[in-house]
Amino acid sequence: MERSFATEIESLKLGEGQVFHGEGILAVTKALLQAGVSYVGGYQGAPVSHLLDVMVQAKELMAELGVNVVACTNEASAAAMLGASIAYPVRGAVTWKSIVGTNVAADALSNLSSPGVKGGALIVVGEDYGDGASVIQERTHSYAMKSAIWLMDPRPDLPTIVRCVEKAFELSEASHTAVMLELRIRACHVQGEFMARDNKKPEISMHNRQPSAPHDYNTLSHPPVTFAHEREKYSDRMPAARRFIVGHGLNEKIDGRHGEVGLIVQGGIYNALIRALQEIGLADSQGRCDLPMLVLNVVYPLCPDEIVGFSAGRKAVLVIEESQPEYIEHEISSILRRADIQTSLHGKDMLPMAGEYTSEVLVGGLAKFIEKHVPRLGNLGARNYSDEIAELRSKALIALGGPAPARPPGFCIGCPERPFFSALKLVEKERGPFHVSTDIGCHSFATFAPFSFGNSILGFGMSLASSAGVQSFTQKRPIAIMGDGGFWHNGLLSGVTARLLNKSDGLLVIMKNGYTSATGAQDLVSTPHAAETRAAGGASATDTELTIEGTLAGIGVKWMRSVHTYRVGEMKAALNEAMSTSFDGLKVIIAEGECQLERQRRLKPMRARALAEGKRVVRTRYGVDDETCTGDHSCIRLSGCPTLTVKTSSDQLKSDPVAHVTNGCVGCGLCGEAAHAATLCPSFYRADIVSNPSSLDRLFARVRRLFTGAA
Amino acid sequence: MSDQAIKVRTILIGALGGEGGGVLMDWIVHCARMSGLAVQATSVPGVAQRTGSTSYYIEMCDKPASGPQPVFALTPMPGRVDYVAASEFVEAARMMERGLVSPTRTVLIASTSRMFTTVEKMQMGDGRFESERVAAAGRDLAKTFVMLDLDAIARAAGTMVSATLFGALAGVGAFPWDRATCEAAIGSGRAAGASRAGFNAAFEAARGPAPTQTQSAPENTIDMRRADKFSGLPTEARNLAALGHARCADYQDGAYADLYARRMLDLAPADDAEQPERAHALAEAARRLALWMTYEDIARVAQLKTKRERFAKIRAEAEMDDDQILAVTEFLKPGADEIAAVLPARVGAAFLRRVARKGPPGFIGQGLQVTTTSVRGFLTMRLLAQFRRIRRSSLRFGYEQAAIDRWLAAMQAALAASPAFAAALAELPRLLKGYGETQARGQRNYDAIFDRIVASAIAAGDFSGAKQLRAAISAALADPEHAALDAELRASAQ
Repeated sequence: MERSFATEIESLKLGEGQVFHGEGILAVTKALLQAGVSYVGGYQGAPVSHLLDVMVQAKELMAELGVNVVACTNEASAAAMLGASIAYPVRGAVTWKSIVGTNVAADALSNLSSPGVKGGALIVVGEDYGDGASVIQERTHSYAMKSAIWLMDPRPDLPTIVRCVEKAFELSEASHTAVMLELRIRACHVQGEFMARDNKKPEISMHNRQPSAPHDYNTLSHPPVTFAHEREKYSDRMPAARRFIVGHGLNEKIDGRHGEVGLIVQGGIYNALIRALQEIGLADSQGRCDLPMLVLNVVYPLCPDEIVGFSAGRKAVLVIEESQPEYIEHEISSILRRADIQTSLHGKDMLPMAGEYTSEVLVGGLAKFIEKHVPRLGNLGARNYSDEIAELRSKALIALGGPAPARPPGFCIGCPERPFFSALKLVEKERGPFHVSTDIGCHSFATFAPFSFGNSILGFGMSLASSAGVQSFTQKRPIAIMGDGGFWHNGLLSGVTARLLNKSDGLLVIMKNGYTSATGAQDLVSTPHAAETRAAGGASATDTELTIEGTLAGIGVKWMRSVHTYRVGEMKAALNEAMSTSFDGLKVIIAEGECQLERQRRLKPMRARALAEGKRVVRTRYGVDDETCTGDHSCIRLSGCPTLTVKTSSDQLKSDPVAHVTNGCVGCGLCGEAAHAATLCPSFYRADIVSNPSSLDRLFARVRRLFTGAA
Repeated sequence: MSDQAIKVRTILIGALGGEGGGVLMDWIVHCARMSGLAVQATSVPGVAQRTGSTSYYIEMCDKPASGPQPVFALTPMPGRVDYVAASEFVEAARMMERGLVSPTRTVLIASTSRMFTTVEKMQMGDGRFESERVAAAGRDLAKTFVMLDLDAIARAAGTMVSATLFGALAGVGAFPWDRATCEAAIGSGRAAGASRAGFNAAFEAARGPAPTQTQSAPENTIDMRRADKFSGLPTEARNLAALGHARCADYQDGAYADLYARRMLDLAPADDAEQPERAHALAEAARRLALWMTYEDIARVAQLKTKRERFAKIRAEAEMDDDQILAVTEFLKPGADEIAAVLPARVGAAFLRRVARKGPPGFIGQGLQVTTTSVRGFLTMRLLAQFRRIRRSSLRFGYEQAAIDRWLAAMQAALAASPAFAAALAELPRLLKGYGETQARGQRNYDAIFDRIVASAIAAGDFSGAKQLRAAISAALADPEHAALDAELRASAQ
């Protein structure tokens, strides 16, 4: 795993009255323990990876409490785990990144919400929307509505988040319904504090096993009882939920002196709204506000009495609801219409339909609302603010002479996936452009410069499935690229077995780096075992781990090549063969090379120890001869490594910058391989640097110096 | 709302994934807690962290004596950030572009260090974003603008830029706590020692007078005796010609250097008055002629790779100790063209005919790894360098000299008719660079432009197409598939 949570594990042990300091998502983890969960599962993905990562690392503490922690292989398997709470009064929680994970989990969610739950069931979703997000489309809200699962969107401060987690279990049990809690990316990573309570050992757990399994047809999602379930959802469970929400004051009503209007806001947007109100002088930094506000920590279901109570008697309310479509606004509209309340309703007519609701965006919407309904307040400087910012930006653009160059994420230094794409680029140069169906994972960075590969992305593990239609009408064989993470998440079933079933042609490349690296290097079923990593030492540990190869052979893949990604020439040959062979059927190339972050995590301490002990250590790095480089940068167009960069030539006669390797080089070998495979230029060299040389090393060095006069 | 609003301090850090920004954020949060402040910090880790731009945002204020706890924002609000610190110069530009730096409010600390983005690096010419523009924008937009090379300070201290950002922020007074609190947050231990050193150096630098921009001085110095040979040339051309003269002597011999001098002086008779466009054309010609005359063949590469200074340079670049031993391995893969190039013209031509007929012999296309620091490798390279003795009779030499003369004749005609055209034409050989395929591509582009634009200008005696010529040169450098150049040449033909 990429990160060690040793300190965080300590804070999970805090008891009553102690102050927890830390990240939002870890506060959720602590809250789960305080709520007495029996089991926790999930699938990694920003921004919720840490929830599971810390629990996986805190094995001892979890065992002591009796909490069963399961690293699920996809979100459907995580959602299905909640089935434990259908039949038994046990609390459980699962987590994943939304919307992607919720899509994958949809089937299990339907069948979880049909019978409903006895024990509290909580789904913590990272609502990855807005700045820095990787999956920004769609809302979890629609799933809550269609499956009748309740949805919480707490104010992004730790005490509120923790309270909502604890209340979510009670709400779930009071209404026999699973509850989702959505946290936006910055809320997951917000650093704050809350007053801890003792962890609670679950009553039913691995320490107190149930003697028998009672059969109750009502707990099945199967006709005929599903017809009754459909009625219960709205006749019993939702009213019970509404009673609980109102009874426990989960939504917060805040008074303000301009009572003729009101704001209804998702809890998660509250902080941005307060800052926007502050900008126009309607709130202070402690959140005291001149406009009445209803903060929805539970955004589904809404409680009609609460909405009517807040809206009635006001001239207008503004619904502040991020993302599209405006489900909450529509529901409020129905509630008000049915109650015949004549309050004007605003929302997406004054605020943008799509995009993150930052304070800057909210200032604009608030100004429109206030001008229309509280004209005596004037514009409140909102227009000045937007003019001021527009001017700042235009000034910057003029001074900078154009936009600053983009810096999207890319492959790490020494990433084993980079050389694969160097090889693919060389193949493309020879054969012309072919269809590349790409996938989710680190390898999707190859969609950016300098590689710019990819014609479609259909989902995690979907690349092979998505080229099934394409292959019938393209002259060149399409390539599907998938990581080992995607392969186990979905690709094996939706892609590989489908091709085998249809006996159809296809070309799949599996990037076997050993981990789900993009989400923080969590383990897979094919992650190298401790014995293998020990044996590999500082080298790649993925070549001896053959679970993927064995699986593919077992289900009947006949054409398979395993190539270490750093052998660019071999990879190019394998790709060319796969593209041109007359073999009709699925061809799989396993592009093997261990995640460099994991490798370095092993290698660095080994090397430091050896150096400290005075042992002979060889460090390899690459370099470019300034004198022979002519500054064409072909090498960079084949690599994009952060350490392969440019610098002003030390030669005054050369006007173009020359290629240059910084000292951050980890000596992965791509530069040399690419120089050969692409017949680049003779400027690259490899430097092997021996520390603590042996006396034999010294003797040889002296002899060599006699001849070469150098080094 | 209350009238006595608590003042919230806002700090934004722009950085790249993997630079230790999270550690810096933790230090700041820790200090704020130790100082009894209310604090909140957010970041966007995850995939964005993998070498891409990322940011960290911190808000803090005094804990209110009464009333509710402060409500902090999770995202920086444009124009409302007190301190912006960027670990890299273009990241500072990005912050300004987003409106996050305000002249009435923001102290901007920008590390002048550059970590070039892929799109800047991958261009065939010079795609680097101009640092001067970032400096100009900073002077325009920040209330206080502090420029420091935080990366260099960090490297000197053996630490990461997170430590120097911390020091610089403390140095400009971004924190309502003292320096000792910061140092305590960094902690103890070996890595912490380096962090503290970096912190302290950046702290002092941020408080000190603005450092004068130190341009790394070019390594080659001008030999004045050589420059005297070119006293008839304008200053810049004279200096470059002196370098060119020296380069040719090193490349071949004194006679070859004299050939360079003759060619240069033929271009510019001494009685010519200095005129900017003409001066530029001559300077560019001095540069391009020198580089062209010293084209990189196998002998030249072998010569350069076995220079004694080279190994010292590699040792310095890798920050090696005297006690460490260095082995240097070259990656060579000469093609048939490159081998033919150094052979005597007839032999080379025969060799190429054989290759065309029967395909290349087996050893061609095999990548060679030669360890130049080994006795065998060194002697092999020295042996290859000896091909320079027969260079004058080699296949490529003859070809290049003819092409050079053709270009010089065109230069001469252009200088007399239109200095603007001459200035553009002087840059044309910039396209001739690289090895193997790159070189072939450059040659194709050069020939296409020369034939379509230059030759026709000479034939018609009409040198008014300087703009066209310039556009064609930039188009040739726009993409390796020469799509832009083909489009440009089609357009100019119409």
